[in-house]
Amino acid sequence: MPEHITDNLTEHFIRAAEEAAATVEKVKRDAVALNDCLLAATSDDELVLFAQPDDLDEQLFLKFRSNAKIIVNPTNEQLKTIKTGITGAFCAVASTGSVCVAITKNLSSPISMLTRKHIVIVDVNTIVPMPRDVFSEEYAGGKGLKRSFSFITGPSATADMGPLVRGVHGPGKLHIIIMEQADGKY
Amino acid sequence: MENINDYKIHPREVADKSSKESLKKAIKLALDVESDAIRLNTQTFNNNKYKSIQKLYDYEQLKDRARQIKEDAIENLPVLINKVIEVVEARGGKVFCANSKSEAVEYIKNICLLHKAKLIVKSKSITSEEIELNTTLENAGIEVAETDLAEFILQVSKEQPSHIVTPAIHRSRAAISELFKRYFKTDKLLETGEELTEFARDILRQKFLSADIGISGANLIAADEGSVLLVESEGNIRLTTQLPAVHIAIAGIEKIIPSKKYFGTFIELLAASGTGQPLTSYTNILEPPIDLPILNLNGREDKQREFHLVLIDNGRMKMRADKELKEALYCIRCSACMNSCANFQAVGGHAFGGECYSGGIGGAWTIGTSGSLEKGRFAELCSGCTRCIPNCPVRIDIPRLNTTIKSRLIKEGKTSSLPKYFFGNFSLLGKITSLAPGISNRLSSLPFSRRLMENIVGFDKRRPLPEFAKKTLVKQFKEYRKESFLKNKIDWSNTDTILFADVFTNYNNPHVGMAVVRVFEKLGIPIMLSKVYDDGRASQSQGLVELTAKRAVKLASYLEKFVNEGKDIIVAEPSVLASFRSDYKKIIKNEQLSAKLAEHTYDPIEYLNLLIKRGKLEQVLRPDLFAHSGKQIFYHGHCQMKTIGAGNAAPEFFCRLGFHVNVSTVECCGMAGSFGYKKEYYDLSKNVGRDLIRQIINSDSFNERTIILASGTSCREQIGDELKNTIYHPVEFLEIILENGIDNK
Repeated sequence: MPEHITDNLTEHFIRAAEEAAATVEKVKRDAVALNDCLLAATSDDELVLFAQPDDLDEQLFLKFRSNAKIIVNPTNEQLKTIKTGITGAFCAVASTGSVCVAITKNLSSPISMLTRKHIVIVDVNTIVPMPRDVFSEEYAGGKGLKRSFSFITGPSATADMGPLVRGVHGPGKLHIIIMEQADGKY
Repeated sequence: MENINDYKIHPREVADKSSKESLKKAIKLALDVESDAIRLNTQTFNNNKYKSIQKLYDYEQLKDRARQIKEDAIENLPVLINKVIEVVEARGGKVFCANSKSEAVEYIKNICLLHKAKLIVKSKSITSEEIELNTTLENAGIEVAETDLAEFILQVSKEQPSHIVTPAIHRSRAAISELFKRYFKTDKLLETGEELTEFARDILRQKFLSADIGISGANLIAADEGSVLLVESEGNIRLTTQLPAVHIAIAGIEKIIPSKKYFGTFIELLAASGTGQPLTSYTNILEPPIDLPILNLNGREDKQREFHLVLIDNGRMKMRADKELKEALYCIRCSACMNSCANFQAVGGHAFGGECYSGGIGGAWTIGTSGSLEKGRFAELCSGCTRCIPNCPVRIDIPRLNTTIKSRLIKEGKTSSLPKYFFGNFSLLGKITSLAPGISNRLSSLPFSRRLMENIVGFDKRRPLPEFAKKTLVKQFKEYRKESFLKNKIDWSNTDTILFADVFTNYNNPHVGMAVVRVFEKLGIPIMLSKVYDDGRASQSQGLVELTAKRAVKLASYLEKFVNEGKDIIVAEPSVLASFRSDYKKIIKNEQLSAKLAEHTYDPIEYLNLLIKRGKLEQVLRPDLFAHSGKQIFYHGHCQMKTIGAGNAAPEFFCRLGFHVNVSTVECCGMAGSFGYKKEYYDLSKNVGRDLIRQIINSDSFNERTIILASGTSCREQIGDELKNTIYHPVEFLEIILENGIDNK
């Protein structure tokens, strides 16, 4: 395993994600900071669909969820017309800047695939070095082996219409929020 | 380029390459209207691939692992199929094993009818095109919306795919723009890539939201968990496989691998090899039927998710039992082979492809799944340059698959054998003309002779004939030895270094062979010349496999004593060196001998570099002894030589002496031995060659006095046909600078 990956997974992840045309920011692990961060990220959006991240404490999001424009139980109509959606990711990959979103009983996957702007929150502890590591019991609690999921790397893109175009059937914008460890480190 | 939307022939008309006529028309079509777009797109992918694989620190080991996994999987396929059925059905899904195309499409159609489906959304699946699914469904009154943008474009243009990953690669943005404007009759702006994408996106979003059933392919299937790997950039696969309650996945049986744990290896290789990305935008691992609640955004009242895995044989088990074709089953459909193929870069899959499979790997897949050998005729467009081999993530010997197809076409009388025997017996031609080279050269260049040659053996009139030297290398060497023995009294009988007298150097380029002899002796390395032998390169390129094996075995046995004595064998012609270093391992069936041959054969410059590294020639070849720092020269590396790892020998050597070496980055010059002589491939060969010529002309400080070096005879021919510059084999140039220091000519 090359040192440059294991040395500082977070920095490596941020670089790779930005290279894949995602935007990235870091946030403190508390409800107030999260609320401020997410409000800022959705300041231009009228309606935001929110899928509570499975692996993160619900308490962290209560303040944010109390905002009027945050929809936690969308109607079909709201899903069909979604512009901005927020989900969690159960792990992330440093070498590629990818986040992994589970296909499970909640709405994370549909929200993340129907929306035009996808905001995803990932716990810094869950960043693994390379894609192959997600298929191992050693990393991310072996979650990658136990579920259906998608690696998401940057916004959707196509090279079929000439030079690369971003924003095809999937989101045209991917914003990743890395949540710090309990001890304040990244 | 002519306008693709107005061209007189539609690609579908020449999709079936069974006849020579359709292959010919398809090549013309591609060169006339598609070449520029294909070259731009494939070269972009190719360049990105090289960048990406550099970031895979264990790329070579990953390929070994991927190869092993696929070999084992295909070996154990029947067991794995049963495991998949067991696991998927335990989870509540259904598996249907279709022996034939018709069984597969009938099953799928019936599921659709059962669910009263009016609209299907579909993601890209070349396998679905193999079984001709869309036609069947449409005939049953079901609308099929292709959601991958390239397939959406092909649905509009009604063309077949020209590439297995980006099927509309033959269309530029302008061509797509015009196509949409004509077809959709809309006043929406459709100029930029963004506008075209937005347009298609809006149409297809409506399809996603109202479709009754989603149909996808599968990149890989893991037998242990029944997991399906699906790789994409657009996001259409996620929508197709998760929104509708019913998901049908179509997969050839060769997609099955034992374990989900191996997905990691394959996704890293696939993304880097295919599109040159660390990962594509979405890499999906599904274990259907998935847990996701049914949204019924389409207004249906589906209560339960249904998953149907349609596993398709359609000739694959037969391929598995075919010793030569079996390897094609390891393919993971990355497209690296076609992106790195200079011929494919020129014409794409509408010429170098069939009804759905394209490129170097396409021939084996076409004949395997169609049951028709003739449909694989486009395998002739593989010139054996081998640039695909190091790029294949599962180490498939793609040129060998195509040689097999060529060989079978000859055996079954599906191709004219006279040209094959003519070009495959180049050495015989050499022997005959060497009896009276002056007359032979003059006679053969008469217009009458040229016309005759073109009509009878297909040797294009426009190609300059290879000159047969007045004195063969063997003769020249003999005279030289006599002379130098009388002068220097050196005993040559016990040298450690042998120059192999290959047929090309012996009959056409003896001056190169003599340059090796003189240069080496000047550097203190006495050299002995071997006897002349045909290494089988020419016959192999024609698909004459038995003749090739005979020649190879004979030559290997001749060289055996030299390698057993630990002698070093210098080979001036790169394609012959490649025979020893690579092809013979599979041809002569003597592992020990072929390994020794591979170990003891060298390109002349490669050999000098080795000696320099060992400290032997450092003083003789000291950079300060040569006064040409900064002088620009251009080096074009021979395709097969690059594949065997010697492509950087000459640049390294001459850089060390203070030259500034500009190198070509094309995969192949397009001449490829006899390929460029042939009437039916002349235009294609010239098209490929011009890509190299452009690179040379645009290189730093290039002018008509710039010296061009190329180790391959074919390359020098191809370049010399367009440029007036002096072109040398590197060792010829070395002889000049050793004698004179460097002077402009």
